[in-house]
Amino acid sequence: MDKKIANYIKTHKELILSRWKSEMKEQGDERFVRVVSNRVFDGASQQFIDLIVSNLMESNEEFSQRLHKFAENVVHIGWPLNFVTQGIRKFNEIIFHGMSEEGVVTRENYMEFTEGFDKWFGPMNDEILSTYTSTWERTVTLQKIALKELSAQLIPVFEGISVMPLIGTIDTERAKQIMENLLHGVVKHRSEVVLIDITGVPIIDTMIAHHLIQAAESVRLVGAKCMLVGIRPEIAQTIVTLGINLDSLITKNTLQAGIEAALEMTNRKIVGVEVES
Amino acid sequence: MKIPILKLHDCLLISIQWELDDETALQFQEDLLNKIYQTNARGVVIDLTSVDIIDSFIAKVLGDVVHMSKLMGAQVVLTGIQPAVAITLIELGIKLNDVHTALDLEKGLKKIKMELGE
Repeated sequence: MDKKIANYIKTHKELILSRWKSEMKEQGDERFVRVVSNRVFDGASQQFIDLIVSNLMESNEEFSQRLHKFAENVVHIGWPLNFVTQGIRKFNEIIFHGMSEEGVVTRENYMEFTEGFDKWFGPMNDEILSTYTSTWERTVTLQKIALKELSAQLIPVFEGISVMPLIGTIDTERAKQIMENLLHGVVKHRSEVVLIDITGVPIIDTMIAHHLIQAAESVRLVGAKCMLVGIRPEIAQTIVTLGINLDSLITKNTLQAGIEAALEMTNRKIVGVEVES
Repeated sequence: MKIPILKLHDCLLISIQWELDDETALQFQEDLLNKIYQTNARGVVIDLTSVDIIDSFIAKVLGDVVHMSKLMGAQVVLTGIQPAVAITLIELGIKLNDVHTALDLEKGLKKIKMELGE
């Protein structure tokens, strides 16, 4: 039976291919079709059909190798997953229709053929799905690592004074990490004053402000004082426009002003040294 | 199990060494207030260094104790609140707004001396 299917595909290769391509182009997102050039599309389609035929002709190991290659190729081209699975289903349909038109598939052997098709497309779907998910998982892990690298460290600058420079957008997960780093750092370095520098934070919204206030309050509970420094004019404007109340925080415009204030709070100050001439 | 309350000059020193259950917390509240009454203490330092977990009830009791002590004329400083505990408290919405805090017992004692104007 496998041979019947394979023979059909082999003899009608061109027809199936052109039908499939036109159907896929109809189905496919316009944006997507424009992105993928015709040549790439043709190439991949050709490979796809070869692969399917090879499934019937070759041994299992060879097939799985080729399938793996094909799946990686598809991911590499950047085809959307739903487009690929749709493609496989459409392909299936086209062959099935073609074969029943020619009378190869009849009412009697219908079940048998359906089973045959399932055996065929099942592993293909599985392999493509798993290749896609593993690619995505890899991307997510890489991004998580990058995020961790970006997330803030507490730097002790003077005895009892530490600075935490924040760079980049803050989301909930990062805010949590910031808070943890901040509190553990305060306890570890025995800081009395902590400065959170938001010069590198592009925008402040209510969510971020909320997290900052929470961080400041927990710092106070641990037994230190928290200061927010590096507030740019546009940030100040946003904060007031959004109606965020930062009264519970001490705020300064620059890190320099913040450090001076922090020294003052710990009864110290920076003085110039007189140079003997 | 009763929580020992130590007297040091005109301060009371309490170190909580284990997880508080509800009953112990209420007992502690009563004991502390009685002790303040007996000793005329002006300052109270509660050290929470060994407390890793806190629930909303204990947090409320602690907040209440602080306010009650204030009513009786004693300043309270909470010391050594662990980061995890701080996060829990904030997430529970318990801010202990007008409670003084310090990093450890040493700084807490210094702070209370400052508060008492010594």
